[in-house]
Amino acid sequence: MVTVNDTLNIERGAPAARSFSQPYWDGTKQKKLLVQFDKSVGKYQWLPRATSRFTGRKSVLEWREVKGEGEVYSHTLVYRARPPFQGKEPFFIAMVTLPEGVQIMGNTVGITQEEMKIGLKVKPYWHPLPDGYHMLMWQKA
Amino acid sequence: MAMRDTAIVAYSEVKTVQKSDRDVWEIGAEILEDLLNKTGMEKGEIDGLCLSSSTTGAGNCFWSQTTADQLALEVDFCQTVDIGGCSPTGALARAAVAIDAGLCETVLCLFADTAVRESGQRQRHYQQEWTAPLGLLGPPTSFGFITSRYEHQFGLDYRMLGKLAVAQRNGAVLNDLACEKLRTPITIDDYINSRMIADPIRLLDSVMPCDGGSGLIVTSRKNAEKKGYKKAVFPIGYGEKTSFQFSENIVDVTDTGHMPAGAKAFKQAGLTAKDINSFHPYDDFIIAMMIQLEMLGFCKKGQGCDFIREHDFNFGGDLPLNTGGGQISVGQVGLAGGGTNLVEAVRQLFGEGGSRQVKNTKNALVTGIGGIPYNRNWNTSVVMVLTPNG
Repeated sequence: MVTVNDTLNIERGAPAARSFSQPYWDGTKQKKLLVQFDKSVGKYQWLPRATSRFTGRKSVLEWREVKGEGEVYSHTLVYRARPPFQGKEPFFIAMVTLPEGVQIMGNTVGITQEEMKIGLKVKPYWHPLPDGYHMLMWQKA
Repeated sequence: MAMRDTAIVAYSEVKTVQKSDRDVWEIGAEILEDLLNKTGMEKGEIDGLCLSSSTTGAGNCFWSQTTADQLALEVDFCQTVDIGGCSPTGALARAAVAIDAGLCETVLCLFADTAVRESGQRQRHYQQEWTAPLGLLGPPTSFGFITSRYEHQFGLDYRMLGKLAVAQRNGAVLNDLACEKLRTPITIDDYINSRMIADPIRLLDSVMPCDGGSGLIVTSRKNAEKKGYKKAVFPIGYGEKTSFQFSENIVDVTDTGHMPAGAKAFKQAGLTAKDINSFHPYDDFIIAMMIQLEMLGFCKKGQGCDFIREHDFNFGGDLPLNTGGGQISVGQVGLAGGGTNLVEAVRQLFGEGGSRQVKNTKNALVTGIGGIPYNRNWNTSVVMVLTPNG
């Protein structure tokens, strides 16, 4: 079993937010996980989009806070990466399914290669970024 | 279906290299001259230009127009097709439609890219915001997810993926145009023992970025007959799907757009998977080919490994597959790489496979994969059935 880097030592810039995703990033300043919700069909969507993936209407979208407790849908242990990750491999990227019916990808903190498996229960770990933002990562629930 | 009223009357391909010492337009010019030689056409007979995506050209919003200028082609139709790895086969389909609609008569389909020598790409998609900050390398990582998930749902015998890798490499050994670095035989053990890139994706699962190009001359069936070409290949079925199941958040990543695209192509062609003589699937990663075997109906979902175990994919086998080596063993010609699979299919149907010529040439099946979206497999899937008989 290799030692997995939790990537907390990687220097990351401020988020590359777009006009329609800025509310998500603003939420991360308070470590809130905001997800778009299409109120016309009662469904959440991830990632943030300019419109509803369900109805093609942007006016029906609103932001709702979710807890972010979910389980691993799939994972990969990355051995080859570009800077600033290069030389700091391996690290995990996990795709996590939330009960709200969305999947969010993230790096993992404190999860060993032995522990990682599909179905593993995880919760948010908020890692500081520049300008007061945070990045969502996953830790064991 | 009118696409079958168009004919591929010539193909051309340059040697794939790790890094080109020539400009992408020089590669295009070499392909043009070779196609003029093979068809006996004058330059002025070409009145359409349809390009695949090109990493080198990606920073130029005028790419097809500029390339027409550089090659001095006076055309009535020009277009760049921007569906990534699907763009060569997609360009052929669009050329056929343009000819059938009367926009033009004879199209140069050009698939050239020198991504290693010169990248003109400035990406604008979700990745800068959502996946680059996670250290996601792109395709290998996404295929790591797909592979982990496939193994979880169905089990996965990695030696069977290795069997496909070996068959392709056998083809590259016989293919003078394959990148020299990739022309040494490998074994299943070599595949299994190759180093991890994005576990469980290994080095020998993956394509190597290269430079090169290929191209086709496509004309109306009527013109092909008038000019008396002895060899011609016809697209008799085509399906294309972009954003498969994108109205849902969570999909089964082992289902792909090849399912609906394949059903459409087979229906138009009046064929099914069991009728296919040779298969030229887009191969950015080995497992993509196994999933396509399932999606296109060669076998049932989840039974890809069993199917691979039971069949021989070498050029002399019962289902010849990417007989020139595929992109994994030829080298991936940037965003034009789908041309490798497509041109090999045409070459086989022309009966010009040389030392790797397949026996049965009633038809060939070609596919494409393009784009890597968030939490699913790929953006675009294309499927085309080709036949030399019309």
